[in-house]
Amino acid sequence: MTSAISHDRIHSLRWRLLAAIGAVVMTTWLLTGWFSYTKAQHEAEELMDGSLAQTARMLLAIIHDNEDDLVELAGRLATVRGAEDIYEPPLEFQIGRGDGSILARSPDAPELPILGVAGYSDIIRHDESWRLLNAVSDDGLYRVQVAQSINLRDRAALEVAIQTLLPLVLIVPVLILFIYLSIKRALRPLERLAGEVSARTPDNLAALPEQRIPTEAQPLVKAINRLFVRVGRTLDNERRFTADAAHELRTPLAALKVQAQVALLSGDTPARERALQQIGLGVDRAGHLIDQLLRLARLDPLNAPPENQAIDPRRLIDDCVAAIAQALPGSTRIHVELPETPRAIMGDASLLDIALRNLLDNALRYTPSDSTIRISLRQSGTSSHLQVSDNGPGVPASALERLGERFFRAGQAAGNGNGLGLAIVARIAELHGARLAAENLPGGGFSVTLQNLRNTDG
Amino acid sequence: MRLLLVEDDALLGDGIRAGLMLAAYAVDWVQDGKMALLALADHSYDACVLDLGLPGKDGLTVLREMRSCGDQTPVLLLTARDTPEDKITGLDHGADDYLTKPFDLGELQARIRALLRRAGGKAQPLLEHRGVSLDPASKRVSFNGQEVPLSAREYALLHALISQPGHIRSRNQLEESLYAWGDETGSNTVEVYIHHLRKKFGADFIRTVRGLGYQLADDA
Repeated sequence: MTSAISHDRIHSLRWRLLAAIGAVVMTTWLLTGWFSYTKAQHEAEELMDGSLAQTARMLLAIIHDNEDDLVELAGRLATVRGAEDIYEPPLEFQIGRGDGSILARSPDAPELPILGVAGYSDIIRHDESWRLLNAVSDDGLYRVQVAQSINLRDRAALEVAIQTLLPLVLIVPVLILFIYLSIKRALRPLERLAGEVSARTPDNLAALPEQRIPTEAQPLVKAINRLFVRVGRTLDNERRFTADAAHELRTPLAALKVQAQVALLSGDTPARERALQQIGLGVDRAGHLIDQLLRLARLDPLNAPPENQAIDPRRLIDDCVAAIAQALPGSTRIHVELPETPRAIMGDASLLDIALRNLLDNALRYTPSDSTIRISLRQSGTSSHLQVSDNGPGVPASALERLGERFFRAGQAAGNGNGLGLAIVARIAELHGARLAAENLPGGGFSVTLQNLRNTDG
Repeated sequence: MRLLLVEDDALLGDGIRAGLMLAAYAVDWVQDGKMALLALADHSYDACVLDLGLPGKDGLTVLREMRSCGDQTPVLLLTARDTPEDKITGLDHGADDYLTKPFDLGELQARIRALLRRAGGKAQPLLEHRGVSLDPASKRVSFNGQEVPLSAREYALLHALISQPGHIRSRNQLEESLYAWGDETGSNTVEVYIHHLRKKFGADFIRTVRGLGYQLADDA
């Protein structure tokens, strides 16, 4: 559970933004803080060094004029103790002559020789650190050593630095909160969008509104809308196909049921036998319809022929003709016209076989029994046109355009076809990049051509 | 009683025709809308069974054209579509009844009986006249309570006369209700069957209206 949440956070835009911005803010803040702290400390030390120097010069000036009263003065000066305040640390001093002999000193002053080099120095005496300033009067007669406890100085510097940092510390949570709220606000349109998408059902594929969506999310919304359109179209097709298929199965089922009931009710044997034979035919036809439906359903999801190899057109045609030869009514003739040396066609042999068989099947089904069916292959350099024509009654002109539609049956010789044969051929043509063209022939008869099948190169 | 069947599916059409002939109707079967309109123009049918999904001219168009030229033949629609909209459209176009495929042959026969009964202006299933009663459902005929066996043609002729007892039926009309296309007809078969019926129900049961045809005698 915890790992799932942390995993979610890694992928959450909000958390990532917050983490990145937070890290930058914190780093900047730490650097600024450190810089301000050291700067403040340094400035405080300089100020306190300045006050040491001032004190030393004042002491030198006082000594110079009052050497006789020095002992009394030292006692007085030693009482000028600061209040217990870090900004006013106690004044510790030693006063002496140029030769280093001590004239006076404050009681807590570190016991050090005052002969050192003039200037600042840090020393440790009895576990206590001191900042010292040795100073010599201009005439070299007197020496003064003033000292401040480094401990106290540091506390003062720290206090100053902390005062500088305090506003920075206070502002950080406010800043983080503000950033968090801004990100949340900026991401609200996305949340709304997500809510809208997740509330969708397959029945509601209307386009998402593209207004009030951040520019960055527009491509996503557009892509989703395009997907909705495609999904909707596919879904519609599927639904229509399923509904159509179910309806198409109803007629053969009705026929089977009625024939079965006729067989049950018929008193005389010939009528009963006839009805039973009709049932056999009906089962065959329903089986054929189901085969064709399955075939279409398998072709539908394809984008290209499952196999793409060189096919010898002579063999393709001979195989199909041989396969339907047994079912050929006695007087129907099949006539094949091929170029002398036909070039191989690129495509899926089994699909083209199905297509050609369907065309032959249609020609047989819709022409009188003494017809001539003609299969002809015309080839140019790169493409082939495979035509199946007959000398039957043709198709009403108004129906020509709709011939490749699923479940569409042209007017004549109705009642036997299922309206899927040509739809399957059209789909196979489409997969091969070819086109299905149907026309009534001028002298009577009907032809269907698979145009622009691709030849093998060279 | 002569029916027109309009059904493009060869097997279903064949089955319905056989089923209706078992119920002693004369059935003409056509497979497309154009033929249906021609048949309706040429003959008078007692009812029409019309498939909606016809190639070329579909069933609704046929129905509309029938009704627009004043054809009153009761129509029972057959269809593979079963949404309420489909039914409403069919009925609003002038159909009298509706069956969805696949259907039961017995139900089809019963619905046709109901159509014929309503067309004859009756609600009772039994057709009765002067002691003769005919039950279209069981095809039984009785006279004064005694069951009378009839041949299919005799039954069909009696059915045609008794469904609207007051009407005068011409010899041709009666012949049409006995025979579908392709049935062999003798030249004086109607007279032969009239004679048989008179023998069974009394000579005065059927009146000959000279020059016009036949009519059942008035209720005594």
